[in-house]
Amino acid sequence: MAYPYLHESETRVLSEGFGSPEARTVAGWRALGGYQGIARALEIGREATIEEVKASGLRGRGGAGFPTGLKWSFMPKEARRPHYLLCNADESEPGTFKDREIIRWTPHQLIEGCLVGSYAIGASHCYIYLRGEFFESTQVLARALEEAYGEGLVGSDVMGSGVEIDITLHVGAGAYICGEETGLMSSLEGRRGEPRIKPPFPAAVGAFGMPSTINNVETLAATPHILRHGGEWYRQWGTEKSPGTKLFCVSGHVRRPGNYELPLGFPMMELIEDVCGGLSGGRALKAVIPGGSSVPIMSAEECMECDLCYEGVEAAGSMLGCASVIVMDETTDIVKQVRRMAYFYAHESCGQCTPCREGTAWATRILQRIEDGRGTEDDLETLVEISEQMTGTTICVLSDSLAMPIISSIEKFRDDYLALIRTGERLGAA
Amino acid sequence: MSEARFRNPGWAGNTGDFELTEAEVRGSEYVGRRSPDGGHPSVAPSLPYMLVAKNPEAPLLEGPYRERLGKIRSRYPTARAALIPLLNMAQEIRGHISPATMNEVAGILGLSEAFVRGVATFYTMYNKRPVGRFLVQVCTNISCNLAGADEVLAAFLEHTGTELGETSADGDFTVAEAECLAACGFPTCVQINSRYFEDVSPEDVPALLARLRREVDEGY
Amino acid sequence: MRTVTLTIDSAEVTVPKGTSLLQAAEGLGIEVPHYCYHPGLTAPAQCRICLVEVEGAPKLQPSCVTMAEDGQVVRTDSDAALRMRKGVLEFYLVNHPLDCPICDMSGECMLQDYVFDEGREKGRSREPKRVFGRDDFGGDVLYYGDRCVMCTRCVRFMDEVARDSRLTVVERGSRAVIDTFFEEGLEGSPFAGNVVDICPVGALVSKDFLHKARAWDLDHTPSVCTSCSQGCNIELHTRDNLVQRLKPRANHEVNGHWMCDYGRANYEWYNRAGRLEEPSSGRGGKRRGGDWKSALEHLFVRLVELAGTEVRVVGSPSASVEALGALLALAEAAGGAASGVFRSRRAESEDPMPGFPLLVRRRDLAANVDGARLLGFERVGDDEAAGGLEEVAAHDGIVVVLGDELADQSADFGGEAALYVYMGHFDSPAAGNADFVLPITTAAEEEGTFVNAQGRVQRYWQGLQPLGAARPAWLVLGALAGALMGGGTPASAAKAFAALAAAHAPLEGLSHEALGELGVALAAEAAHG
Repeated sequence: MAYPYLHESETRVLSEGFGSPEARTVAGWRALGGYQGIARALEIGREATIEEVKASGLRGRGGAGFPTGLKWSFMPKEARRPHYLLCNADESEPGTFKDREIIRWTPHQLIEGCLVGSYAIGASHCYIYLRGEFFESTQVLARALEEAYGEGLVGSDVMGSGVEIDITLHVGAGAYICGEETGLMSSLEGRRGEPRIKPPFPAAVGAFGMPSTINNVETLAATPHILRHGGEWYRQWGTEKSPGTKLFCVSGHVRRPGNYELPLGFPMMELIEDVCGGLSGGRALKAVIPGGSSVPIMSAEECMECDLCYEGVEAAGSMLGCASVIVMDETTDIVKQVRRMAYFYAHESCGQCTPCREGTAWATRILQRIEDGRGTEDDLETLVEISEQMTGTTICVLSDSLAMPIISSIEKFRDDYLALIRTGERLGAA
Repeated sequence: MSEARFRNPGWAGNTGDFELTEAEVRGSEYVGRRSPDGGHPSVAPSLPYMLVAKNPEAPLLEGPYRERLGKIRSRYPTARAALIPLLNMAQEIRGHISPATMNEVAGILGLSEAFVRGVATFYTMYNKRPVGRFLVQVCTNISCNLAGADEVLAAFLEHTGTELGETSADGDFTVAEAECLAACGFPTCVQINSRYFEDVSPEDVPALLARLRREVDEGY
Repeated sequence: MRTVTLTIDSAEVTVPKGTSLLQAAEGLGIEVPHYCYHPGLTAPAQCRICLVEVEGAPKLQPSCVTMAEDGQVVRTDSDAALRMRKGVLEFYLVNHPLDCPICDMSGECMLQDYVFDEGREKGRSREPKRVFGRDDFGGDVLYYGDRCVMCTRCVRFMDEVARDSRLTVVERGSRAVIDTFFEEGLEGSPFAGNVVDICPVGALVSKDFLHKARAWDLDHTPSVCTSCSQGCNIELHTRDNLVQRLKPRANHEVNGHWMCDYGRANYEWYNRAGRLEEPSSGRGGKRRGGDWKSALEHLFVRLVELAGTEVRVVGSPSASVEALGALLALAEAAGGAASGVFRSRRAESEDPMPGFPLLVRRRDLAANVDGARLLGFERVGDDEAAGGLEEVAAHDGIVVVLGDELADQSADFGGEAALYVYMGHFDSPAAGNADFVLPITTAAEEEGTFVNAQGRVQRYWQGLQPLGAARPAWLVLGALAGALMGGGTPASAAKAFAALAAAHAPLEGLSHEALGELGVALAAEAAHG
């Protein structure tokens, strides 16, 4: 076994080349059917490419789940001004580690996806915005891109079609907020990575003031497969509202954490118990964060019947986000983990909007005080209220992202808070 | 099913169930030292390294680095967009971004010094003061935290004899806390200069530090 | 112009397309609280306190960047909007030091006002406050980081208007502060003082004004800056019959919301000690103080005696249109052929405001150079306002000097003159040689008008009580001319202006009332006439 994640339930579309160093070369990627998706796109034309992706029902894998084909269709048809495709490879949502895997094992999968996306939206330049910490994966991608340029797959004449698509690797310098699409644009332009108010939307006024589309790495990586095999083919997996496969990033207290590619709609407990080998040490499940740290925490009970698709997780009271399943067993100190999340959001707040700048820092201090055994029961109401004041009141959703775990944890794990406040006892702490 | 956790060749040491070598996982063949001139213009703005050698007095734009800046600028419609790639390059050469560096970078791109300072202080990867030969950044965010990242951080501090955010007396190690490094499947993840070391436990720390000291000559 | 009609808080309003909800509400007299929005700058919509409810929108909308649309129903005072504002205000106070008792902004602070109107009675934060301390930004500007609401108006002013990006936000999140490039500061920027005006709280304060007065003790008087011929519209802020500071007053045809630091700093002369306080007569050692009645009676007699003698007058580019007009009228009434000169300091170059190019710190460093020219005065002397008075100094007829201090002239100035009248603010050796020395009011102590470099006639109002027995020059000169001509004395500056407008074609049809607070451009008015 070259790569540890393989499980019989896995459906390897995106992850087929994972663990195989050969897949990092053009030849290796071609051997896996690579560069056939972009070839078909060039053959059928822009409109048909968008239609194919629309037909697949592919939804954005960066967290919001917006239909990709529809997003592409928002781009203006005129070609007077340059259009840009921005690939969001700033993977920094706590619990998420799928894009790095795509980049370091199958860089050509991403390059091909960028070609498909650029072609579909009429962009002659694509910027891949990588988080700065990805030194090694960036080098793998850089080498692959150099090779792709050398082979005429990227550049002024993509695969001899006459279509011009340049790709540039752009590396950030450490800021979670640059994963937010308008923050990413600000950062790409050489500014502080501060999100911008919408409207105007990026499709109208994006990077450098030009029409732009921002897609996540995993989203773009899926498009060559969709083009190669057709939208209907992609729908063989998943549900009506959540078609296709998805990389599930499982971390926390399971025996076999890792990335698993599964059809959307896969039952959460089967993922935890079967695919991931159950909880470490045979302990009991306490909570799960199903979509990266920015979504409501689920209690063990809520997880039992939850299917991992956009609508399924929503029905269970949380959000699929980027499908980063953080599993917490009975020994977990929920208050400490929520405080750690709060610290993260306060650290990463860009500081523009008052509710976020002040609210995230204030909530962190209150949580720290509770954790230090100096909390009061009133603090819980204050936390919930300031979380509500941080919801829907800012330019981007960073502060909403903290509000959700705070509100949901106080609602679902109130006893953990009360124990600390009343007796100083950490419930569950090992 | 084995109770033992995977040891990811990311690389902390033990290979566990993997058949892959560290070089294969890292793609060392790919990650080998890239020329300072940045290679193909399409990849020139990406940041090859955080290097062991840090030379705060080195010129910014000599030889291949000047060539790299030219390639970087050719990839963007505005001069301003070259700012982050240029700051990255400056840190690669000098090890940190001093006020003098900000001033120089501002001059090169025709931006105000205050603007450059605003940008440089926004991003956490810019070291505003000198760091050790190895910058050790331990992720303590949720997934790593659940696996005991706080203890890993404590072990690094203990074995390097430093305080959080400070540099060891021998100038070798600066130890800092990091936010999620996107390697949550194999906690604890530690970024040391340009490399990730995954599945690091407190017990691994002495061997890891010894390895780094041995590897100084490799340069990254 | 296309318009849209919408409803705000149950009132219907029609505004031009492209008007923001905040501005549309303003038109109805509804103030939506705001910090980051400023009418002279772009709006980043980041302070989040101007959020209003728009029917049909899923979330509250920032009224500063949400454009008015036909049929929109907007509530600025809905429960959701008020609850949100209360919440945002609480956030603002989490780290605010609440040092209002020692803060210069107290009394005119937008944080104080909004919290008083809509904030919680008591904040819930028990956590220690973040402390940044105070930072000297150079120039006249001090920064109190703890009071800052991070609206970034100052950063945008320097970027967009001064086009000198010396301010930035450094760090991020709750650690963010406004700063310059280390020690660079704002020193040398000709416009940096405006950041103090636009700061909605007491974060950016003026060193000059520091702890000088409380906002509620200041009287505000609309005026015109006297430091150059741009004529920026300003307010005099006065207390204890002293000008305490100058602030710009919005006029989009002249200075926008701004003024330059040169003009802003140049007000102490209003308060300068050693002013002429009473009329006096008699040359040299024979000079005696007296009252206006006897001084004017004696002067009138002398003028009658000398009827028909050639009159030479020296005006001042800092005197009002009314005063200069009355000076010419007196010269004419005295019967001699009148010719007027003035001297004026000129800077080496202009200083335009890059992001608001209408505003230029002009070369002419006086407010009414163009008014003097318009009335027929001729500029003499050099760029230091010295020299050029040789003929006047030696004139053997009547010499009248108005407002020129004659600092460069010798004590025998006007020694040959049959009658030498000096009207001014300050004494000098050359003034001391006059037969009559008459104290006149400054622009802060009187009403009047100036004509600026754009040919715009602008009014200023009285903000201070005249010092001693000083009187407006238009009144003194108007009374003498009136008496000589057998007419009356103008009862007000407005009447003096009206008389002048009737006699001078370019001013035809203008009146103080028509000028209003924002003035009227002459060329356009003349064209209409």
